[in-house]
Amino acid sequence: MTGTIALITGILLVLIGLWGILTNRDIIRMIVGFSLFDVGIHIIMLSIGYVAGGTAPIIENLSDIGKSYVDPVPQALVLTAIVIGLGITAFMLTYAVNMYEKKGTLEIDKFEELKW
Amino acid sequence: MVDPIYLIVIALATAFALGLFRKAPSLLPYGLTLAALAVMTVISGSWAYGILSGSLEGTDIFTAGFTPPVSINLYMGSLEAVLLLLVNLTALMTALVLRKEVKDTSVYMLMLLLVFVMGLNGVIMTRDLFNLFVFIEIVSIASAGLIALRSNLEQLGAGFKFVIAGALTSGFMLIGIIFTYYTTGSLNMDVIASQMSPALAATGYTGLFLIFIGMIMELKPFPVNGWGLDTYEASVPAVSALVAAGTTSAMFYAFLKTSYMSGGLFVQAAAVIGGMTFIGMNVLALQQDKSRRLLGYSSIAQIGLAVLAYALVALYRIENGEFIVFALILTHALAKALLFWLAGIVGKDSIHDWGVIKKKMILIAPFAVAVSALLGLPPFPSFFAKWDLVMGLAARGGMVWIILILSGSLLEAVYLMRWFGNAFKDSFNEEDTLDWRFGTVLPVFFNMTVLLALGYLSASQSSFSMGFNWILLGAVAVLMVLDFLPGIIKNLLLMGAIGYYGYGFVMAAESYRSVFAWIFALGALITLLPGFGVKGKRMGFYPSAALMFAGLIGLIEAVDFMGFFLSWEIMTLGSYFLILRGKDSKPHALSYMLFSLGGAYLLMTGFAMTYAGTGSIALGALVKAAIIPHSGIIFALLAVGFMTKMASAGLHIWLPGAHAEAETDVSPMVSGILLKAGVFGLLMTAISMGEQSIGPVSLPYVLSWVAVITALVANYMAAMQEDAKRLLAYSSIGQMGYALFGISLMSHLGWLSALVISIVHFIYKVTLFLAIGSVAKRTGTRNMYQMGGLITKMPFTFFSVLICIIALSGIPPLAGFSGKWIVYNAVLEKRWMLQGAVAGAAGIIAFLYLFRLIFAIFLGQLKDNHRKVKEAPFFLILPQALLLGLVMFFSFLPGSLLRPVGEILEEFTTAGALEWQGNMAISDYGYWNGVAVMWVFMALFAVFFLILTINGRRAQWIKQFNIVFAAERPARPETTHFSYNFFAPVRKALGFLEYPFTTNFWNRVSDFLHAVAGFCRRIYTGNGQTYLLQMVIFVVLSYMLTKGGF
Amino acid sequence: MVKKVFILLMIILTGLILWSFVPGYESRTALPEVSAHYVEKGPEELGAANIVTAVVVTYRGLDTLGEVTILFAASAVVGLLIHLNKNENKRRREGSEILRTGTALLFPLILLFGIYVFINGHLTPGGGFQGGAIIASAVVLQVLAYPNRKIGHGLLSVIESLSGFTYVLLGAAGVFLTVNGFLDNRILPLGEYGSLLSAGLIPVIYTLVGLKVGSELSSVVISLNGESEEEQL
Repeated sequence: MTGTIALITGILLVLIGLWGILTNRDIIRMIVGFSLFDVGIHIIMLSIGYVAGGTAPIIENLSDIGKSYVDPVPQALVLTAIVIGLGITAFMLTYAVNMYEKKGTLEIDKFEELKW
Repeated sequence: MVDPIYLIVIALATAFALGLFRKAPSLLPYGLTLAALAVMTVISGSWAYGILSGSLEGTDIFTAGFTPPVSINLYMGSLEAVLLLLVNLTALMTALVLRKEVKDTSVYMLMLLLVFVMGLNGVIMTRDLFNLFVFIEIVSIASAGLIALRSNLEQLGAGFKFVIAGALTSGFMLIGIIFTYYTTGSLNMDVIASQMSPALAATGYTGLFLIFIGMIMELKPFPVNGWGLDTYEASVPAVSALVAAGTTSAMFYAFLKTSYMSGGLFVQAAAVIGGMTFIGMNVLALQQDKSRRLLGYSSIAQIGLAVLAYALVALYRIENGEFIVFALILTHALAKALLFWLAGIVGKDSIHDWGVIKKKMILIAPFAVAVSALLGLPPFPSFFAKWDLVMGLAARGGMVWIILILSGSLLEAVYLMRWFGNAFKDSFNEEDTLDWRFGTVLPVFFNMTVLLALGYLSASQSSFSMGFNWILLGAVAVLMVLDFLPGIIKNLLLMGAIGYYGYGFVMAAESYRSVFAWIFALGALITLLPGFGVKGKRMGFYPSAALMFAGLIGLIEAVDFMGFFLSWEIMTLGSYFLILRGKDSKPHALSYMLFSLGGAYLLMTGFAMTYAGTGSIALGALVKAAIIPHSGIIFALLAVGFMTKMASAGLHIWLPGAHAEAETDVSPMVSGILLKAGVFGLLMTAISMGEQSIGPVSLPYVLSWVAVITALVANYMAAMQEDAKRLLAYSSIGQMGYALFGISLMSHLGWLSALVISIVHFIYKVTLFLAIGSVAKRTGTRNMYQMGGLITKMPFTFFSVLICIIALSGIPPLAGFSGKWIVYNAVLEKRWMLQGAVAGAAGIIAFLYLFRLIFAIFLGQLKDNHRKVKEAPFFLILPQALLLGLVMFFSFLPGSLLRPVGEILEEFTTAGALEWQGNMAISDYGYWNGVAVMWVFMALFAVFFLILTINGRRAQWIKQFNIVFAAERPARPETTHFSYNFFAPVRKALGFLEYPFTTNFWNRVSDFLHAVAGFCRRIYTGNGQTYLLQMVIFVVLSYMLTKGGF
Repeated sequence: MVKKVFILLMIILTGLILWSFVPGYESRTALPEVSAHYVEKGPEELGAANIVTAVVVTYRGLDTLGEVTILFAASAVVGLLIHLNKNENKRRREGSEILRTGTALLFPLILLFGIYVFINGHLTPGGGFQGGAIIASAVVLQVLAYPNRKIGHGLLSVIESLSGFTYVLLGAAGVFLTVNGFLDNRILPLGEYGSLLSAGLIPVIYTLVGLKVGSELSSVVISLNGESEEEQL
């Protein structure tokens, strides 16, 4: 049940993020949308690795081997995904800063120099 | 062998270490980067060589000291090795090109470049799903950085769109990966693939779908790729080169890996998306005149084709699929990188400003090579790939896909050839400069060389036997290399080669092939003679001519469809380059190329259907094709294909311009010799397949009407021309109409007439074009109303034209008559009286233009400004003299031509064959003694000549200015010239024939396509948010269509 | 308005696609084969108490190397864009007294905590990325408190380069010393299970990662604040 709730929460966050991305013309708000979208994905990933009754996979004593742990793989993946998301966010923000400096606006539909 | 993991280690270690050299002179970090890339190239190259040569085997690369699935593993196999070599080489070259940017960008650009390349290496090698995702992210961040290398507004806008599109795509993919991990319990692609079953595919559908759609969107499918186009346009060209060659190839391979992993679950969707992309992008590109964006369109289209090819290979189980797909990918990568680098050298974005490339003429060569390679022309790998694909599809019943692929290719030819033509013909501003440096030029020529070399290799990889003689192309290559020599030496070399090779070639040719062999070999030698009179290097002329003649010779030597088609394309390519050399030939050369390619694709389809029906690709299979289902359609396809080359009515509009605008010695080549290739092909088809019909419609009957209409209208049009060379061009169309008529009669005499017309047309059309060409050269105009009275200045030329027009008009006693006499005999035999009558009428109209030719140019009053005109130069007269000798020989002894040719045809049908009694030919309807006619004619000529000479004493000499002008000088002085609008009365009667039905039709087709392109490309609004919405819609629709609901 | 409704529709449809996964989902009761291997054999094989760390640094070490590379690339792009657009920056309002005093107090503590987190990554829920992020947060605090103070990238960049370079070299050392051992942590002795100096190379790598991430994120923050890179720290 815990897993399902997390999964649904994650999916909802992804959709809310998408809504934010698609309806806000302001670039900073779009970036916030992307962050939500990312967080949603991370929660989905964690829910996938959840094992009912499992604890965090930190084995303090070798004798604890064989107890029930949650899946360490999605946790490792989510760590990577978070860092990637962080990188991309930093990167988008840098773009935003530079775009603002060049054009004095942050509205995405003002950046249509290239089309067709 | 070096562990491939070092590819990643070296790139990363160098990139990380570069941070230490922030303050060092830029040469140091730059040198380190180059060294790293070079080492990576060597490592991947040695693997590629090792695996392909068989001394190494594909090998797994484990990490962390564990075997998969516990740890991540990579794989190095033949495909990986080749792609890695491609990517690393392209990166190395790109680094060379980017030399100038190093100073402005500190070490950051070099870091990003290395990281980018490392990411591509990882994408290609990894076998782990999540690891693939990580590498894709690396690539996308590094390339987003490189896009903004100059950090101007366009680059920032494009880069941002690129980043958000990439973030959305990778988001979907990541969800897909984690879902798939849930259903399969693994991230290792090989493990997942081994577990894949219909049940698993059903439960894991959503995850697999999201991975698929994510990978597809990385390849920028139509129509959700506006951001990709922006990227190509905005980036520094060298970066675009790396993206087009490196990223797309690596991503494509990653797409293949994931597709295999899911057991080909989405192959059909891939086929639809690939096909849509290929067609869509090629249509939309039509309206594009910014070169880098154009290249972007073309890149995306080509990847669409590769996806399509992969999907079709899987769906139809086509053999040699790996070769097909990777030949397409490699050709595209090499050619596209080359073109982007070239764009960097040229530095102009609009395709109308590319004329500046001519500042370094030699750059035309790589440009031509790249464009040809993209279009899938021989001898490049893509040609063999397309051929294999089309043949495979035909054999498995995928006709619809053949049509789609070929029409897409034709569209692509429209804009690529137009661009090439612009660059080659447009003038340029002297002040403009090229970015001509070692670092920019080396990559371009390197890729050109690789493309040429790969062509040879892929011929041996293609699954079809090769009936083509590579010696000929070798000669072309030699001439290309020797292009720095003076023209005369190259001419000697080429003539020597053709003479040496041609002797054995003509002797070896059998049956009706020998007739054409003679025309091609002899024609080549004769039409090359004028080249001795041209001073200077004449760059590009001799390789092109060699290419064309190699193609022509190859046609005769071909034993299978592959060899035939390959030669056909080579010939087309060579002649295109020749025609393009003419002064105002730009639009005509383009339409020539497009019609030729269109025709060639019809041929390809016809051959493919024959192969599908008979299982053989030998040319002899055409005989068997006569009795298979759809034989009528095959006949029609081949006939229309060949008629494109013969410029039959409706398909002729390329010819007048192309032949008239060509250089003096090129016109005879393309008009006198090249047109016969069409006759040859059609005759081969007719003889092999016999009478065919589609439903109740007899195809030869249709052809006969097309033929006589062609003759009638073309002759009329010829009579109405003011331009002497255009007149000759139309005349060629008319003559080819006769040849077509002869073939359509499907009888011994009909075919005999077609052969005879081909021979005599070769002789007198070459002569006429040389003669008129030299007049045009001497007087500086081609308009007949600006000439007159040249008989005294150019007597030999006059004589030459006189003989030829008598021959051409088909009246006794000269050689042209024999052709006509046979045609009418054949008509009587076939009872096609109506067509015969039209042909007769056309013959009468022919007199009009022939008369005008001699009258307007040579008789009448000499113009003031032509008083110092000299006779044609020796090297233009020499070939005419030789040919005139031939005319006289055949005229005195018509039997010497008709008898051997007739005997050749008796192999196929003897009904109605001529009987010979000495010099007398006897048909079922009459007899003709050419020798006797000649003597009678000569006697009559002598009598009339005598009478006129005697009467000539009484002639009154008229002074030069014995004509009274009105006081005013008319606005258009030429209208007062007697020879302007010479046949005004005829025009009143037959003017409707001039209505440009055909031209209007083709113009409408072109306008329509351009309008569609102009309208549809509005989906690329430039708004990044709209692009995102389009992507979401694309995902939703794809899901609904592949799953059939939710 | 129509557009928003349409977007909503599309998002609902996207939701349906994602939802199609939900009915088939239930929390696992047992681990997949590979994960079971990690949990059961991991401690003996690699000597790390934190299995997630074992997976991150060793079993899926290539991912982590890639991840480090992504941060590296992102910071290079940030550096590139800032380098290309050197702007006169406006004077910003100094941080408040409280902020400045707090920063002076907390800065070393936060640094220390960050180092603790990455050094103990193989034993506790922590690691190089987390530690690095904590270190960078100290820099954020600095930037907030003294927005006009010029901080150069010189030292940061040297730390970043050296730690990254060493990381790759240590990874490659595995290829030399063992079979197929790229990023194998067992080239150092595993040590006593559960102690600080255990799990072979893992703490070393995590230290390097921590330094690298910390310096990268810091320089991103500094760059975004719009400082020139020419001056030294």
